Amino acid sequence: MNQLVKHGLRFIFFVLVQVLILNQMEIGLGTQLMIYPLFIALLPVDLGILATLIIAFILGLSIDAFSDTYGLHASSALVVAYLRPMVYKIFSPRDGYEQIEETNIHQMGFSWFLKSFGLLLFVHHLWFFMLEMFKINETLFVLQKTVLSAPMSFAVCILLQFLFLRTKRKDV
Amino acid sequence: MRNFLAFIRRFQVLLFFALLQGVALTIYFTFSAFPRTQYLTTASNVSASLLSVRNDVTKHFGLSKSNEKLQDENIALREQLLENQLLIDSTTYLDTAIVRKGEYVQQYKYIPGTVINSTFHKRNNYFTINIGEEQGVERGMGVISDKGIVGVIHNTSAHFATVKSCLTKDINTDVMIESTGEPGILKWDGRDARRGNMTGVSNDTKIKKWSNIVTRGGAGIFPKGIPVGKVEKTEVIEGQPLWDITVKFSENFRSVQYVYVIKNVLLGEQKEIESTIPEDKPEE
Repeated sequence: MNQLVKHGLRFIFFVLVQVLILNQMEIGLGTQLMIYPLFIALLPVDLGILATLIIAFILGLSIDAFSDTYGLHASSALVVAYLRPMVYKIFSPRDGYEQIEETNIHQMGFSWFLKSFGLLLFVHHLWFFMLEMFKINETLFVLQKTVLSAPMSFAVCILLQFLFLRTKRKDV
Repeated sequence: MRNFLAFIRRFQVLLFFALLQGVALTIYFTFSAFPRTQYLTTASNVSASLLSVRNDVTKHFGLSKSNEKLQDENIALREQLLENQLLIDSTTYLDTAIVRKGEYVQQYKYIPGTVINSTFHKRNNYFTINIGEEQGVERGMGVISDKGIVGVIHNTSAHFATVKSCLTKDINTDVMIESTGEPGILKWDGRDARRGNMTGVSNDTKIKKWSNIVTRGGAGIFPKGIPVGKVEKTEVIEGQPLWDITVKFSENFRSVQYVYVIKNVLLGEQKEIESTIPEDKPEE
């Protein structure tokens, strides 16, 4: 499928799922599910960082527009987009990313995905909750929210990939 | 030379990141205080239309429950009708019960609306309702439900409005304890959607557990006596002569569906007369 169409449809899917389903869920203890970092993580690896930043910004703003968070999601999405190339470089596989169509869990394996996407997601959640609270004496609550929400969001992200992405693993 | 170029390129990315981040943060910090436009909020047409479509689907799940709620409210109002009350003391009847036409003027009007989107797990929670400027909704009006206060109008568009609910950092509504009239301010610490805090009550007064907390009606946003919640716990704040009161909200914000926006007809008059008070130096 054409990359542009694919990611365009995916963009709409992520915004709708985030806004219509996940934003309405209450799990308790300040837990909040956010899956849109997965969209940024699944963008082509060779996409320039400036383009990634712009896409992340638009993605974040679209989610903001539906959830009255006024730029909070945009700011957090930018952090993911900015850190993505660095994180991917640190955890780069032996042969680099040339053989890889997409950095999803099927092609990269669970351990790579846990390390790189897990790190991105954790930073994203931490940034989001820190900005949302914006008070030093609520640091513990921020940490509690992050530590509880990030693993849950991660689990949802894995579930989504098993549901919607082809499991074909590339033979290297 | 190559190093220099590489440095520039790296710097450029950081600069671009900082620029976009700056835009996002500016929107965040200015909009949550005072939204100037309705774009980027759920009061905008695109967002609100999508959310009302979703509400059209999901509202049916709670239909019987909301019918019951409306029925309960109707019963409570019906019981207050004069026809349903027995006259026991003719003097009080004459003094208080008869509404003599011409001696009363309507101060508060109510505009009914439906919640089409709401959150309750964030630090600052907003509701979107399906009425807007065309129905007479303005920024700063109070919003209540059948059980108690819900919030204050934050932003409006032609057909929609967002409500800053009681579950926000700086809702700061004037409230009081119904039995003693002790005033205080309602706050929310972001932890539990069923509980808030009331601050500013001096601890030389005794406060009974489960006494009612109602609005004070001072700011002209809410009428006096709209229920807010009940006192669940009182604790002494160390080093301050104040109680820290935990309030259990009477409204369950998770399931609010039908609300009323309160229009204070005499608010302009109140503001006008209050503006003639000479300004003091702000204390503290």
